This record gives sequence, structure tokens and C-alpha cells, in this order.
Amino acid sequence: MNQSKKKMKLDRRHNLVGWAFLTPAVILIVIMSFIPMVKALLLSFQTGIGNKLKWAGTLNYVRMFQDTVFMQALKNNFVYLIIQVPIMLVFALVLASMLNNKNLRFKGLFRTAIFLPCATSLVSYAIIFRSLFAVDGFINMILIKLGILETGYNFLVNPTSARIVVILALIWRWTGYNMVFYLSGLQNIEYSVYEAAKIDGASVFQSFWRITVPLLKPTILLTAIMSTNGTLQLFDESVNLTKGGPANATLTMSHYIYNTSFKYVPNFGYSAAMSYLILILVAVLAFIQLKVGDKRD
Amino acid sequence: MKKVLAFLLTTVMVVSLAACGGSKASQSTSDEGNQEATTQDATTQEAGNTLTVWCWDPAFNIYAMQEAEKVYQKDHPDFKLNVVETPWADIQTKLTTAATSGDLSSLPDILLMQDNAFQKYVLSYPEAIADITSSGIDFKQFGEAKTAYSVVDGKNYGVPFDNGAVISCLRTDVLEQAGYTVEDFTDVTWTKYIEMGKDILAKTGKPLLSAQAGECDLIMIMLQSAGASLFDENGNPTIVNNDVLLKVMDVYKELVTSGVLIEVNDWDEYIGTLNSETVAGTINGCWILGSIQSAADQSGKWGITNMPSLEGVTGATNYSNNGGSSWLVTANGKNTQLATDFLNRTFAGSVPFYETILPSSGALATYLPAGESDVYAQPQEFFGGKAIYSQITEYAGKVPSNNTGVYYYEARDAVKAALVNIVAGADATTELKNAEDTVKFQMGQ
Amino acid sequence: MIRLKRFLQYLFLTIVSIISVFPIYWMAVSATNKSIDVIRGKLVFGTYFLENWKNLFTVSAVGKAMLNSFKYAIVLTILALFVCSLAGYGFEIFHDKGKDAVMSIILLAMMVPFAATMIPLFQMFSKAKLLNTTIGFILPTISTPFLIMLFRQSARSFPHDIIEAARIDGLSEMGIFLRMFFPTMRSTYAAAMTITFMNAWNSYLWPKVVMQDANSITMPMLVANLTEGYITDYGMLMLAVLLCTIPTVIIFFILQKSFAEGITGAVK
Repeated sequence: MNQSKKKMKLDRRHNLVGWAFLTPAVILIVIMSFIPMVKALLLSFQTGIGNKLKWAGTLNYVRMFQDTVFMQALKNNFVYLIIQVPIMLVFALVLASMLNNKNLRFKGLFRTAIFLPCATSLVSYAIIFRSLFAVDGFINMILIKLGILETGYNFLVNPTSARIVVILALIWRWTGYNMVFYLSGLQNIEYSVYEAAKIDGASVFQSFWRITVPLLKPTILLTAIMSTNGTLQLFDESVNLTKGGPANATLTMSHYIYNTSFKYVPNFGYSAAMSYLILILVAVLAFIQLKVGDKRD
Repeated sequence: MKKVLAFLLTTVMVVSLAACGGSKASQSTSDEGNQEATTQDATTQEAGNTLTVWCWDPAFNIYAMQEAEKVYQKDHPDFKLNVVETPWADIQTKLTTAATSGDLSSLPDILLMQDNAFQKYVLSYPEAIADITSSGIDFKQFGEAKTAYSVVDGKNYGVPFDNGAVISCLRTDVLEQAGYTVEDFTDVTWTKYIEMGKDILAKTGKPLLSAQAGECDLIMIMLQSAGASLFDENGNPTIVNNDVLLKVMDVYKELVTSGVLIEVNDWDEYIGTLNSETVAGTINGCWILGSIQSAADQSGKWGITNMPSLEGVTGATNYSNNGGSSWLVTANGKNTQLATDFLNRTFAGSVPFYETILPSSGALATYLPAGESDVYAQPQEFFGGKAIYSQITEYAGKVPSNNTGVYYYEARDAVKAALVNIVAGADATTELKNAEDTVKFQMGQ
Repeated sequence: MIRLKRFLQYLFLTIVSIISVFPIYWMAVSATNKSIDVIRGKLVFGTYFLENWKNLFTVSAVGKAMLNSFKYAIVLTILALFVCSLAGYGFEIFHDKGKDAVMSIILLAMMVPFAATMIPLFQMFSKAKLLNTTIGFILPTISTPFLIMLFRQSARSFPHDIIEAARIDGLSEMGIFLRMFFPTMRSTYAAAMTITFMNAWNSYLWPKVVMQDANSITMPMLVANLTEGYITDYGMLMLAVLLCTIPTVIIFFILQKSFAEGITGAVK
């Protein structure tokens, strides 16, 4: 009796400590993110130019589904999400487990090299990628030498090839970034587990799927949610690499939202509404991912 | 329990310090923060004789501003200019952010505005921009087409600055190989231009032009050369049933299919085609001269003339404009008077000032009296010893004015998309119809 | 067989590394060439480095920008790591239904594009007189759902018996966090530090909006300034870009050992 009372008291205490630990972070997020978000939500039900806003009900939310440019952007974002995110995450996972090998030489150099792309400034990254895929650029030169092409191909003028360039650029830039989390997550797996598996005759593939992937599940969940969010809010590549072209084939939602706020005649109500569509999409996808992946054993 | 409470208290203190206590917070920032705060105070105290300016090019408009500061300081020794280097994209973001949040105090006194964006900002944020019609500045001393960008409802909102008069640049050595001179390209039509271009391509292997794929600078240049635009006087889009635009699309497509124009991916590549001698010429705003001259080994091999005109189009000329910017005085209420007086005595009133900035920056003025100056008549060795600056100033005076429109960037983006499809073989009328629908949709709310 | 496998592994990693390093190589090469040669696609080292260096330091305030960038990035990284790891730890170690729900709600905070919340945020900061202050610069990004979740996910592998043992030894909860969790989770902290530093170092839009003064220029702003204007000096630009990239790379290189070769074994 006394014991359980004591335990209850202890639990309550721990519960309080827990809340105390997260208070600073939560307060900051409420002030820095949620208050502006509520203001943006109110804005999304208004319409007008600049500061001259009036209430418009759900007009903006209806409007975006009639907006051919925005619908095109939505489609583009999903193309990126479906193709690029899985490739990138698997690739990052493979690289991380290779570079986690204790017997590998030059690990530090390999890791740093693969991380480099995401540290590279956007300016140079955009210039380099465009010049690589230029008509007389490096990629065309190789394709011509290999006899695959006869004359230089303008990659950024055809919608499909422009999208492929963007996807390649995204994989190139963000694989090393995700690798960082996998590498750090892998440190929590006892290396002896692998050695035991090896003795039991497990192949590299088997130990990858049966040990690495399940044990990294919390980290994989994290990177999946972050990448989903990042891809649906993709902005830099669309603006700097392709300017959304050709004919809006690579334009992303965030890029269009930015345009309606800062490039075109400003219509903040409409951009706020489109932003909330992104929120809903990401939230639904993240919710599914959490349901599937966030179980404590 | 005590510890938890103590911890909670500290947390709340930290957060409240960070979040609410505005003045408290700035006091407790690092030394640097304090310094920043004091500089700000200092600015407010000196408000009477200091102006803050946003602009973006150290070799060009920032340099011009600094020279203007010196000119003004002669009569006003206490005067100070605080130029904050701000890229154009950031000027737009910061101006929009400040104006929308209603905090005009964070705006500078003067900022540089791209001409194409002027109408949009005056319409969207009239309260943030000063009407300088009756400030004493004589706007008649600037090219009419140029001034038109910053005039809304008959009111002046900007002091014109740099020149975007279009020139046709040609490699004289390549032309010579094929038996042509720059004179052959003067006052020509596009048909003639393409014809000669094909001949030059056949004889030397060099196209005459290059352009960024999916950009429509050249389209807009051709449109304005006939005084046309994407909007009518009432601001309605005229993308469909616009004969000039259809004609322009025709010409552009022929340029591409004949090989006289090659399309490249981006701006750097475009400059590359000029500097690495891939092409034998270009047609652009006169500010392109700076990039051409950066290939010092090509000195003496370039010539300039006016651009080709459209055929069978009423109002067609050999003159147009691309780019350029004007100074805008903000209505933050601090120093409007000083700002206009400063501009009036420098950018809108001093020939010697323009004579100073031209040689070292190539900053060509739209201030007409400056065009008559001797400095502008100096022969330029790079361009075969011709007095190209007075030549360009003369072109600038002949540019037909057109209506940029408030929804300029929307229309431009829609036409860009249409252009890509038209070049790829789609029907021009259908594509332009789609473009107009897009613009109309974006204009409606 | 094993040799072949090993060879293939090295080959694969080398190819991936070369592809990854190429742009840095290109940047380094370009930084030693004249602008015109960069445009013409020269891919070998040139002799123009000192000239570019001199030009860059004359044209722009590199020293000031470096100093500012370091100041903001370091302060922000330290605060963010402390606040977010504390929260992540709290969310996981003391987890219950309520806290899991709060975690899900917090995630929402990262799902709206910044373009939509920037103006309301600016309004708040201008009312609070926080424009042009270090606090104004760093405050919005101290607490991020991403970092909190990173620490929450990795706290999942932090053994509960250690906590119990420490409690029996009479260590306070804060003590457990600081003395047990912090050192044990070195690899997570190292990874988080790399990423946070990089994000802080590269952050552009908000700093640009909130900092009005020329004195508060950061490296990314300096690079952006150089790309503006009618003529771009590409040699100088690439030198600036290189200088802007190096600090993050160095930090990564130093920390990678800590996060990739953590202290497994010490946990048990």
C-alpha cells in the first residue's frame, strides 16, 4: 500500500520533471511558430492586394484548385517526393552502413567527401549543376564521346529531363546529410551483433535488412518525415537551378507561394492558403509515417 | 520538487527574457548588440542629415551613390550617406515585408527599384512610397519612355537612373570574314537580319545571337520596339489577339530554327557565349557592354548599332529598352525632403556628376543633358574607336514608351511558359490563349 | 573473392566521393582563375588567386562577415542543442500520452513554408524592438521540431537501467541529464551540432529581413551581394563561396569521428 503510494508520487514527480524539461523548447515554438501560424491561418481566409485585405471565406482554398499553375506545382512536388526521397534514403542508408565498417580505411575522408555537397553554398551548387548539364557541358561531352548522343542535348528545356536533373541534384545534395543521422544512429548498435551474425553465416545483405534497418527504425522514421517535409516545401532547387522552367515543369509549391508574395502583385491571403495546403499534406503523410513507424517495443 | 520548481522558474525567466522584454532583451544582448543599438540611436539623432540607401551593384549604382554623396557634400558638409548593399531580390522581400507589417521605419530613405516593378509597388503599397511630382525635380530632362515606368496616374514616383536602351552588338572581325560591316546591320528589319545571319552562319559557323532558353528578354525587347506590351491602357492583358506578339513569336521561332540564335540554359552560359566567341553578336540593354568588355582580348573587335525592326507592324522602330532602374523615395516620414533635394541636385541636376561616374563605371545616364557632354563623345577603343556613349544616349531618346502593367511579372512568366512550348512546336495561338487565361486568373481574386 | 568485394567497395566509395567533391574542386580551381576563364570553363588551377583575394577583400567586408557568421552560428548552436536535447530527452524518457500528443503538435510547426509566417513574425519582432539585434537573429531557430525529434528518437536507445541506477545513487533528474545522458549521447550531439551549425551558418532569408544594418552582414549575404550587378566577377565570387563553405566542412571533419565512431560499449 505504502509502496504503491510512493510509486504514484514518484511517477507524478517524474511526469512534472518531464514537462519542465520540455517547457523552454515548447514555449519558444509556440511563440516563434504557432502565433505566426495562427495569423497566417486568419490571413488565408482573406483576400486583396498588399494591405488592402477583406474577408473572403474559403475563396482562397477553392481558388487554388482552379489554379493551373499551382496544380502543376503540386504535381511536380509529388513527382519529386515519390521518386527522389526513397532513392536518397536507401542510398544514404547503404553508404552509412558501408562507412560504419570498422576495418575500412580512409573512413573520415570518405565521410567528409560525401557530406560536402550539403555544405556547399547554394550559389556555386546551382552554377555548377547548370554548367554540367549545359549544351556544351561535361555531361553532354561524355554522352557524345560514348556515342549515345550525336549533338549536345539541352537538358533544361525538356520537362522530363529537367525534372531528372532536379532529382539528381537533390540526391547529390542531401544524401550525405541523411547519412549523418544514420551514422550516428548506428553507433547505438553493438558492433558485436554484426560479428555474431557473420559467424552465423549471414550475408552482408541479410545483416543489413535484419539488423541495421530494424535497429535504425527510429532514425529512419525521423529522416523520412524530414525528407517528406523538405520535399513538399522544396524551394532552393526550383528557384536557383531551373527557375521553375521549362514551362513550369519543375516549379514547386513553395516557389509559387514565394512568387505570389514577393514577385507578383502581393496576395498574402492566397499564399497563406496555399501554405496551409502544404501543412495539411505533410501532416497527413507524417501522421501515417508515425502510425507505422513510431512504436516503442 | 524544489529543484523542479527552481528549474521551471529559470526556464520561464529565460524565455520571458527572450520573448517579451523587448527593451530588456536588447540591453542584455552581447556587446555587439549594444553597439548596434547605439548606432541606431545615433542614426535617429542625426536624422537631419543622414540618408540610408539600398542598392546592389558596387561597380555601378553603389559607386554612383557614393559619388553623388560627394557632390552633395560640397554644399552640405554635414551630409552623410549610408549605403546598404542589398541585392534586388532582397529589396523586394524587405520592402514587401516592412510595408505589409506596417513598420515603415525599417525602410531606407531611398531605394533602387527595377523599372518593371515600379507600377506593382505603387499600386500595392501606395502608403510606403513618396509622391515626388511637386518636389522640384524636372522630369522632362529624362527620356520620356524611361520616365513612364515610374509614373502612375500622372504622378511621379521615381527619379530615373540607368539606361536600358537596346543595342545590337556585333563582332566586326566575324562580320568582315563574311563580307559584312556594322553599317549593313543598321536600320534593318528582322528579315534582313536573319538573312545575313544565315549567310554568316554558313560562312563562319558562328550564330549571330544567343539567348537563355525559357527567358523572354528578347520577346519583350521586340514588343517594346513597336511600342506594344502585354497590357492595354486599362491594364487588361492583351496576350491573345496581339498581332505584334504573334509576329514576335514568329520571328523568334525563325531565329531558333534557322540556327541564327542558339538557346542556352542560363545567364552565365549566355555571357559565356559572348566571351568565348561562340556567337558573333547579341541584342540586349546597353548594360551588357560591361560583360562584353570583360573579355579584354577582344578589344577593337566589337561594334554597336541599333536593333532590327519588326516588319508589317504599325509603330515599329529600331529602338527598344531592356532593364534599367530608378530611385524611389520611401514615405517613412523621416527625411523625405532631404532625399528629394539630394536626388534633385545630383541624379536629376548635375552634368558634372554624370561625367564623373561614366568613365569608371560605364553608368550610362538617362539624364538627357548629360548626353551632350564631351565625356560621352569620347571615342571608345574597345568598340573600334566609336563614340558609343553618345550613340546610345541618342537611341535612348527614341525608344517608344509602352505600358509595363501592374501584373508585369505574372504576364512575363506566362509568356515564358508559352514561349518554351511554341519553340518546341506547339501552336502559338493556343499557347498564347493559355498564357492569357493564366494571367487573368492571377489577376482575379 | 573477399578481395574483389573489398576492391569493389573502395571503387564505389571512391566514385561517389569524386562526384561529391567535384564541385568543391571546381570552386577551388575557379578561385584561382580570372573571371573570364571561369566563364570559359577552365578546369585547371590558375595563378589569379592572390588577385581574387585582394579584390574580394577590397570590395567586401569578408572579415566582418566571417566574424558575424561565427558569432551567430556558435551562439545559436549552443542554445539550440541545450534547449532541444533537454526537450527531446523529456519527451522520450518521461513519455506518456500527453507528451506524445504534444510532440505531434510540435511537428506541425515545421510544416508551413516560411514565406507564409515570415511577415507575422517580422511584425512581432518589430513591435518587440528586436530588429537589428543578435537575439532577433537567433530566436526563431533556437527550438526546432527537427532537433527535438532527433534527440527524442536517439534517447530511445538510452538504457533505462542507467537512469534507475543513477536515481538510486541520489542523482537529480537534471544531474542525470547532464552527467549521464549528455556524455553517453556524444554521437547524437556531434551530429546535431554539425547540422545545426551548418543551418545557422547558411541561413539567409530571415537574417536578411531582420538585420537592416550593413554591419550585421554574414557570409551568405556577402556571397549574394557578389552575384548581383551587371557584371559578376566569377573568380572572386568562387573564392568567397569557398571561404563560406570551408568552416562547415572543417566542423564536419572534426566532428565526424565523434558521431560515427561514438562510444559504443560505454553505454552498457
